[in-house]
Amino acid sequence: MSDCHEVQTLSSTPLPKIEADAPLIALAGQPNMGKSTLFNLLTGLNQHVGNWPGKTVERKEGHFQLNGRPARLVDLPGTYSLTANSPEEVITREFILIEKPSVVVAVVSAANLERSLYLVAELSALDAPVVVALNMMDVAGQEGICVDTHILAAALGLPVVPMIASKAVGVRELLGVVESVIQGELIPSPHPPEVRADHQDVLRKIESLIAGYMPEGYPRSWVTLKLLEGDTEVTLNMKKALPPEIWEAVHEILRAHDDAFLAVASGRYDWIERMVRASVTRPKVGQIGLTGRLDRWAAHPFWGLLLLAGILGLVFWLTFTIGSPIQVWMDEQLIGSLIGLAEKALIDAPFWLRGSIVDGLIGGVGSVLTFLPILVIFFAAFAVLEDAGYMARAAYVMDNLMHLMGLHGKSFLPLFLGFGCNVPAIMGTRVIDSWPARLLTILIAPLVPCTARMAVVAFIAPAFFGHNATWVSWGLILLSLVALLFSGILLNLVIFKGQRSAFIMEMPLYHIPNIRTIGLLVWQRSLAFIRKAGTIILVMSLLVWVLSRLPDGNMDTSYLARIGLFIEPVGRWMGLDWRLMVALIASFPAKENAIATLGVLFGSSPESGLAGTLASSFSTASALSFLVVTMLFIPCMATVAVTKQETNSWGWTLLGVGLMLLLSMAAGTATYHLALLIGL
Amino acid sequence: MLQKLISTLRSGDSHEIRSLAARLETTPEMVEAMLEHLQHIGLIKPFNICKDACTACPLAGGCQAPLVPHLLIHTSTSK
Repeated sequence: MSDCHEVQTLSSTPLPKIEADAPLIALAGQPNMGKSTLFNLLTGLNQHVGNWPGKTVERKEGHFQLNGRPARLVDLPGTYSLTANSPEEVITREFILIEKPSVVVAVVSAANLERSLYLVAELSALDAPVVVALNMMDVAGQEGICVDTHILAAALGLPVVPMIASKAVGVRELLGVVESVIQGELIPSPHPPEVRADHQDVLRKIESLIAGYMPEGYPRSWVTLKLLEGDTEVTLNMKKALPPEIWEAVHEILRAHDDAFLAVASGRYDWIERMVRASVTRPKVGQIGLTGRLDRWAAHPFWGLLLLAGILGLVFWLTFTIGSPIQVWMDEQLIGSLIGLAEKALIDAPFWLRGSIVDGLIGGVGSVLTFLPILVIFFAAFAVLEDAGYMARAAYVMDNLMHLMGLHGKSFLPLFLGFGCNVPAIMGTRVIDSWPARLLTILIAPLVPCTARMAVVAFIAPAFFGHNATWVSWGLILLSLVALLFSGILLNLVIFKGQRSAFIMEMPLYHIPNIRTIGLLVWQRSLAFIRKAGTIILVMSLLVWVLSRLPDGNMDTSYLARIGLFIEPVGRWMGLDWRLMVALIASFPAKENAIATLGVLFGSSPESGLAGTLASSFSTASALSFLVVTMLFIPCMATVAVTKQETNSWGWTLLGVGLMLLLSMAAGTATYHLALLIGL
Repeated sequence: MLQKLISTLRSGDSHEIRSLAARLETTPEMVEAMLEHLQHIGLIKPFNICKDACTACPLAGGCQAPLVPHLLIHTSTSK
């Protein structure tokens, strides 16, 4: 590890004018390796920026003093490899092959050799003399990464110079090595990677076929590799250069080995692994170790699921234990008192004004706002899980489960977003290529229990189920997921026909959650909820109040009651009276409207808050059925709108709404009768 | 090693970079480099669901969707 951080410093010196026969040095490297920093450092103001001939890619050229004489320096475009995937890659390799620079300086990152050595693997297959500038030694040092430059140089067969271009450290030594290469005192003898063993025969066959037909300046072994990689430009050039019968033979071999591009890349990665294994030492303790240990449980297919279920249960328990008493207090004391005060203050006000403020505004919107404490705790719990890095694990174990059950991964990931809101879940289905699969995923996305639905559950469940509210909430999520799972299995069988697609998840390291981040998340989400209460929910509350008072001021004979009574026969199957049915319908613009509507219809008082009033008005079986129907009921207006937008069809949109309506009714009916059977 | 990674991905399961690295007996950095390569040659593509979905989402301001970075894998082997 002697060379870990041994670097030389360079002070800036004035540069003389360029000479015609000056040595040509090319800087090559992947983007963000510090290539341009090195170029600017060496050339200063002696640089010219233009375009490469016939391309819109920037060409940077300059000159600097090398060992007392001027040298030309070209900053080649940042490229990942030398395969003709982009104009930058073509420019870089053409320049090296045709212009034949005196030295190619490959700028690589000491902090990420695995990534940056791929280009070195390609460069070392060319005839150009390569010097490796091992940049970002400081970043590597900060990350505890130690690169033994002597071993790396021996393994690569190329000179390696450690440096920190951003601080002009190690540049003088780099120039010294470049000068030695130009003078022939140091001759790079690269050990390039080999193609994977099972394709070496193929390589040899093509090499022998194309011998003697090489375009000027193209090394045969490099051309063969590019042919195997399917490089379009090299393939086209060789087709022109080879006699038809030889091209036919080459083409036949290439056709028979259409996966050869992977064999070439595989050989390069095996080579990179050997280089890194030999020369790089990484820290093995600390945060990564902790993450690994925690993930043994959190990302385990079985224990991870149990942990997720436990965490969900804990979140509900916390929410109900801390949030519910505050909600009940706000409902009984705050809203009740507000209603009392408003009634007194508006005693002489017209009926419509008093009613709309007392019942519509305070009873409706006020009731919804009382569960803000519950939501704040709920949001905070999820913000902690998100910021600590757990949510990625939750997605991972859920996805594993979905795979086990046959649901296609491409469908699951958009659906996962639905836990927050169904709208981005439906928009997220854009990643699914197959239209039938995307359509069916759109149709099942509203089955994912969103936060708004969970808010309704958070209000109703404690009122009816007391200490068992956690279990009921947990069961309701499970019910939604089971419905989703069965729909998904159907989707998999009918559309994907068992085809599978893998996902790789980049899981963040676990860390202690940041209070500020959590506070910000909770604030944003709570604000969004309050905004919703002040807009959609307010309008709906007033509308419900107006409909519940017109035409004669009597709720039982109001337009709302007439609508409710019209659909009540269906509600009776599920144990729901007309008021609960109306609350369900009112949840269409926003799910929380269900509570607002119940607030308008039942009101609140200092003696008994809305939750208490509801608990004394309905049986536990009816409440359970109402919760089940709410979880599976037709999606909200925004979700329906985005379904129409994404499917571009009212037919599919209405079919989705209809299916959810049927499913919720069937589940509600079954739940109600089952609950009666067990004596609830 | 790249071939082994591709075979593992073709199994169709969900993977996590550290567990993939353990399975391939290499470092997570090596796996990340290979995944980047596969992405570069078009065998896998990034899954920017939140970014894409939220751009046009009317509820983006109050969205509670968890941000989970992923890479989406294509199973085709030809270029």
